[in-house]
Amino acid sequence: MSDPGEALASAKAAADRIVRAKRLNACLTPPKELRQSLTKQAQAAHPSGVLYGMPVAVKDNICTLEFTTTCGSRILEGYRSPYEATAVAKLKAAGALIAGKTNCDEFGMGSSTEHSTYGRTLHPFDKTRVPGGSSGGSAALVAAGAVPAGLGSETGGSVRQPASFCGIVGIKPTYGRVSRSGLVAFGSSLDQIGVFGRSVHDAARVLSVISGRDPRDSTCEARDSLRLPTVPESLQGFVIGIPKEYFPPDLAPAVRRACDRAIRLLKELGAAVREVSLPHTQYAVPTYYIIAPAEASSNLARYDGARYGPRFDGARDVRALYRTTRGEGFGPEVRRRILVGTYVLSSGYYDAYYRRAQQMRALIAQDFRNVFDRGVDLLFTPTTPTPAFKAGEKLADPVAMYLSDIFVVTANLAGLPAMSLPIGRVKGLPIGGQLIGQAFLEDEMIEAAYALERVVPAAQDA
Amino acid sequence: MSVTDEDVLKIARLAELDVDEETLPVLTEQMSRILEFVAQISAVPASESAKPFVPGPDAVRFRPDEVKPWPLAFGPSEFAPAFKAGFFVVPKLGQFEEPEA
Repeated sequence: MSDPGEALASAKAAADRIVRAKRLNACLTPPKELRQSLTKQAQAAHPSGVLYGMPVAVKDNICTLEFTTTCGSRILEGYRSPYEATAVAKLKAAGALIAGKTNCDEFGMGSSTEHSTYGRTLHPFDKTRVPGGSSGGSAALVAAGAVPAGLGSETGGSVRQPASFCGIVGIKPTYGRVSRSGLVAFGSSLDQIGVFGRSVHDAARVLSVISGRDPRDSTCEARDSLRLPTVPESLQGFVIGIPKEYFPPDLAPAVRRACDRAIRLLKELGAAVREVSLPHTQYAVPTYYIIAPAEASSNLARYDGARYGPRFDGARDVRALYRTTRGEGFGPEVRRRILVGTYVLSSGYYDAYYRRAQQMRALIAQDFRNVFDRGVDLLFTPTTPTPAFKAGEKLADPVAMYLSDIFVVTANLAGLPAMSLPIGRVKGLPIGGQLIGQAFLEDEMIEAAYALERVVPAAQDA
Repeated sequence: MSVTDEDVLKIARLAELDVDEETLPVLTEQMSRILEFVAQISAVPASESAKPFVPGPDAVRFRPDEVKPWPLAFGPSEFAPAFKAGFFVVPKLGQFEEPEA
């Protein structure tokens, strides 16, 4: 596409589709504002850009100038950022259109997009179920066909888990591949912007555009943008490890069947497949739920009603202002995580929890290095233990909710690239398979995904 | 590791969060369960040799130490709850040191 007329038509069609998908509660931007902005963006877009005219929905914890950035929270209701995220600036420079802001668990804390102050997002194929989270709004819009691609963010699987639940492709890049500038901080040593696409190619080309160095983020590696691989004829020469800890006895039978079928297909494509072990996997979720809340308790200290966002009653003194604003502005899951984070960092508990978790994180990262050092190129696992669960099913039990991320948090802890792609269905619900790659070797991971995507019967029951 | 209502209130004070009496029992029960769940990492002997893992570049890049205006699209008067004459306006400081409950 290089014709301004086509870009305008693309903008209008995207707005129509997003508005038609309103019942999902996936897009937080009001229809009128969305239409006006998309038209304006299409008129100003760069025709020479590689994503010219492509509508991309953006999770509401990524700063944009066009729309509010609320992080799904009451504490940022109506907030307009005075700057935009580097990833968003790169998308616009490539000619893409920012197609509204999408619903998410508050500040990215959740696995179901039920913890948003703006209501839950519905699963695109079954309204009684969740789309996953925390980037459930972007995932639902892509899965519903409203946009070809979307941005999400991951701290502990928040792109791959909803991608798996919604039957689309979700990529989390290596920590440091994409700038975090303008991504509202949750767990700074874990956070990364990720991408959703209806196909591996759509997701990969958006990732390629937003990747690369950024002087505004010192944790972003000084590397060139990701170069897209070509679609391979076979996977001859690839060694793919199957970590036995990701196939526990209580894995949902349909998920196991879909994975077994995908593994058979990887072998037929020419890959050498071998069983491997990541022995500290069982400690990944507890480790994550110490480190992430600890970092969140620090990062979210900035929301105090003094500098930005709404101010809730607390006129008595500044401390009352802090407490009432934070007490009323944050939802229950965020409050819970701030409290857990403050607890594990507090005097007397730091060594038992936080220091221990840091050591465990090192052991989990070492597990991956050991496997890759023995000649394994990639790992293949289920993305989630079950397909999308029912809305409300895990709300009263935070630990049960946390365990739905059991196969995805390891890549965040180890800073590795990982992606989910659809590999089958059960009773109409999608099942995702996960590829985990070596740091900064997203191209190899995407190459294998291209090959698997071509042969796997993703729409068939496993 | 169980926590009591008093523990939760103390942590809430440290975190500058109001917790109402209605939600306190549920919060205490949920925090206890979360802390018991995460405490399972203590089952693995502490490895003093395991250095903390930090992803990203090996060393933070240094930038020239110079003052530059941040290219904001608009200033704090437009995004702050209260802003006057170049200052963020807040209520009086009040009493920060509270006796331990």
